[in-house]
Amino acid sequence: MQGGYEDLIIVGINQVGFKGRRSKEMDNQVQSRGQKELQEQVINAHLCVGCGACAYLCPYQVIYKDQTIVLHDCDLAEGRCYAFCPRTSTDYDAIRKALFDEEDLTLELGPIKGFYIVRAAGEVNRANAQHGGTVSALMALALEEGLIDAAIVAEGEDNFLHHGIAVTEPIDIKKRGKSKFIVSPTVAEFNKIAAGDAKKIGVVATPCQAQAFAKMRMKPIAGKESHIDKLQLVIGLFCGWALSWRKFTDLLRRSTSLESITGMDKPPGTQTVEIFTTNGTIILPVDDINTCIREACHYCIDSTAEFSDISVGSARLPESWEETKTWNQVIVRSERGQTLLELARSKNVLEFRDVPEGNFDELKKAAVEKKKGAIERLREKSGQPNDLIYLDENDPVIKKIMG
Amino acid sequence: MSKLIDENEGAQYLYMGNEAIARGALEAGISLASGYPGTPSSEIIENLAKVAGERNLYVEWSTNEKVAMEVAAAASFAQLRSLCVMKQNGVNVASDFLLHLAGSGTRGGMVLVTCDDPGALSSVNEGESRHFFRMVEVPLLEPGDFQEAKDMTKWAFELSEELRSLVAVRSVTRMSHASGNVKIGKLPSTDKQAEFRYSGFILDPMEGIVGSAPVAFRHAEQQEKIKKVREIFEDCPFNTYEGPEKPDLLVITSSACTLYSREAINLLGLQDRVGLLKIGTTWPLPPRLLTKYLSLTDRILIVEEVLPFLEDNVKIIAAEQAKAIGVKTFYGKNNGTIPTAGEMNPDHVVAAFCKILNIEYVTMSSEYEQRAQLLGFTLVPNREQTFCPGCPHRASFWSIHNALQLDNRKGFVCGDIGCYTMAMLPTGFSTLKTVHSMGSGTGIASGFGKLGPFGMDQPVLSVCGDSTFYHAAMPALVNAVHHKSNIIMIVLDNSGTAMTGFQPHPGLAVSAMGDEVPAIDVAKICEAVGARVEVRDPFNLKETPDTLLELMEDQEGAKVLILRQKCALSPERKAKKYFEMQVDEERCIGEECGCNRLCTRILRCPGLFWDKEKKTARIDEVLCAGCGVCSYICPEEAIIRKEVA
Repeated sequence: MQGGYEDLIIVGINQVGFKGRRSKEMDNQVQSRGQKELQEQVINAHLCVGCGACAYLCPYQVIYKDQTIVLHDCDLAEGRCYAFCPRTSTDYDAIRKALFDEEDLTLELGPIKGFYIVRAAGEVNRANAQHGGTVSALMALALEEGLIDAAIVAEGEDNFLHHGIAVTEPIDIKKRGKSKFIVSPTVAEFNKIAAGDAKKIGVVATPCQAQAFAKMRMKPIAGKESHIDKLQLVIGLFCGWALSWRKFTDLLRRSTSLESITGMDKPPGTQTVEIFTTNGTIILPVDDINTCIREACHYCIDSTAEFSDISVGSARLPESWEETKTWNQVIVRSERGQTLLELARSKNVLEFRDVPEGNFDELKKAAVEKKKGAIERLREKSGQPNDLIYLDENDPVIKKIMG
Repeated sequence: MSKLIDENEGAQYLYMGNEAIARGALEAGISLASGYPGTPSSEIIENLAKVAGERNLYVEWSTNEKVAMEVAAAASFAQLRSLCVMKQNGVNVASDFLLHLAGSGTRGGMVLVTCDDPGALSSVNEGESRHFFRMVEVPLLEPGDFQEAKDMTKWAFELSEELRSLVAVRSVTRMSHASGNVKIGKLPSTDKQAEFRYSGFILDPMEGIVGSAPVAFRHAEQQEKIKKVREIFEDCPFNTYEGPEKPDLLVITSSACTLYSREAINLLGLQDRVGLLKIGTTWPLPPRLLTKYLSLTDRILIVEEVLPFLEDNVKIIAAEQAKAIGVKTFYGKNNGTIPTAGEMNPDHVVAAFCKILNIEYVTMSSEYEQRAQLLGFTLVPNREQTFCPGCPHRASFWSIHNALQLDNRKGFVCGDIGCYTMAMLPTGFSTLKTVHSMGSGTGIASGFGKLGPFGMDQPVLSVCGDSTFYHAAMPALVNAVHHKSNIIMIVLDNSGTAMTGFQPHPGLAVSAMGDEVPAIDVAKICEAVGARVEVRDPFNLKETPDTLLELMEDQEGAKVLILRQKCALSPERKAKKYFEMQVDEERCIGEECGCNRLCTRILRCPGLFWDKEKKTARIDEVLCAGCGVCSYICPEEAIIRKEVA
């Protein structure tokens, strides 16, 4: 391990006894948990994150323009749509303990095996990437080394949306590294692609998508094939929020044509967002952008993709932004993640540098802030101090944050 | 030879009411008949069109009822006899011209036949045409049986020429569509000469100009005609009385209600207690005749359908003659003895008799009713109104519904009148959110499309059929384009006036009489108006919703999407299947699939059914029309289509 982890609070003791409590109660009530409940509790309640976990499992739910669409009513009492959704009530603590080493669990940032500042080796490999190019480098490496045989990555479309595509050649990964701040329906694409020939699939996932994959890995509905065992690698992305396609594109259209936009970024410490276009950079006030944030993002407690194998975000360094933005911070969370990172080190795919003092604390602080804010807003939404809608108030992480 | 043009005078035929009316018009020697299709009226024009050659007629299905009446009026102005036919809604459409025609008067005998639909068996309203004729001051006749349907129609032409006024004959569904024996009369010669004269004195009814001005003069003239016809009606053989000299109760009725009333009298054996005054000349009522029969007794029951039209008019006479006839007790609509909504039937009349005369008679025992209900719920299969197998509308609304769901801005469709009105129901995925009169869907949409400044950002769509497009939707489209109303008008073009039986319309290259005529292209009209126009095949469930989604993103004014595919029942299709359909029973994994029977539960084409034993979907080879649409929707691709050579 690198850098200052001394003050990490390790979860794993004193938190026994509640695992699965909420689920058991619900089981006893023989509650319907299908499309109708998904619509009532998630979609109509503006909790839908557009991850696509409920989509393409059946003909009823699809993703269209970053939104979950129910095409027709389904009257089945139990559905994978409900079971896989990261915003239906979930015992995330049980999932953490089932999928990760308990000694790695932290309250603020999920499981941690290591924390690093890295970037893709060689400037050329960073050229098409958002920041340090780490995600693309790792995914390409996983393909090269046969850890996976297909990677699902976001592919941009003309209309500013993107869809996931399955990539089998490392070279194709590196073409697709820019963020546009609109969710890609990665889990939906997994549902489609996993039904095909690929055997070992890697995905790049936002925190909510990683949560969905984690729920799917728990196989909540016996006997229903979901191909989840094909999922061999989840590279998580740090995430503050995602934008609503319609609101955001309406905003952008006022300044430029969607076709001219090549990328965007939010420089830290400023109240602006930079939109890179073929005609130069457009600066938009962050307040304008904030009006476009998906409502569901306000109820998210995860900023670092805690349920992934390895999480990647932009670095925060004392150096200039020009330098800083060529680096990533990385949290290794699982054995698989660790294996991949060590492989990247030995193959010189990534460059490593020292983690500056206080860097990790800053990340933790930011993560706690997001959790606090989300919990507060969930309480407001439910109107009950102890009703966090989809979260379990007895989850030790939640308990800690709620004080 | 058609029984409609049999020259064997005195022969008796079983005629449908509408055939009897057509025969009456032929015996009157009409030269022209026009109309717009609408149940229950359509068979009159259809039958006349069939004999147009033999009887030297010109018959047309006009673009709408107003035009139909104008076309028929022209023949009258040229001194020919002409018939105009429509259902009740049509009178609403034609009413503007109707008012002016009443004012201008007619020359050759002209009769308007309106077929009303009490109980709305084939309508979306229970509208009444009778009130129009009082309102515009035109005589109204109502046949009470099938012989009268013929005889009265013929007489109406004579009356029209005597008065130089339009005469209306009103039928109802049970008169138009039921059949009875009719003794036929003589068919006149078919040799007629048309000439429109206008060079005489300006106010001359036969030689001057035809118009409703000078209004005060013409209106007074028209009212003289009404006075005259009232006198004629006093001795009219279509007003009959049957029953005792001093009945306990007098029934005053007209139209099909005559049959119900007579049946109720016979059923209860009331021939000696109840008198039946059957009125054939419903407006204006002959006051002396009414006074005579109102004097017979103190209790009066008026039996008629829907609104109290006859009742109101009888009461006016009773009030005016109160001194002579004394105080009466009236039973009917106003005091709740007779229902004011829905069709009449003999049971309603029986119930009225029982109430008024204190008779105990149970038309249906409660035990029988309960058992019938129980068996109904348990044994009778649940049948819903549904599009036919292979109906293009099912495919169209599948795509429209899905596109609206995908767009996800609470878009909606304003409906219109046609088979596709059923898209209010699950068979059309409950897609329509407004339904009114013909053409109204696009008119309403045109208004919705201008509500953006008030915060309405829901996509606005409308649908109309091809016949409806020409009938009344064109002005609405022009309005929408002209005012940059942001709507999508979807023309469901199934190549015919399908709902009423494939009558030709201006989009087709054939006329009612089977002649070749120029077809007028919907797409070209829309383009000429200035709308963006797309044409798709609704059976393509991929392209259609994609096009709609793209059109919904286009915020620039009115767009038109024409979904063109022949009706599955269309005579042109000749029941030809495009595809042989089959369910691969290996691939259809039934309950295991997770599709929750999308094909038989949601798409619900009658050509598909769920085999409860095999637990797979199956094709009903007899019902399946081979459209191929269901093959698009199966997630396991288990529904296979094979092109028919």
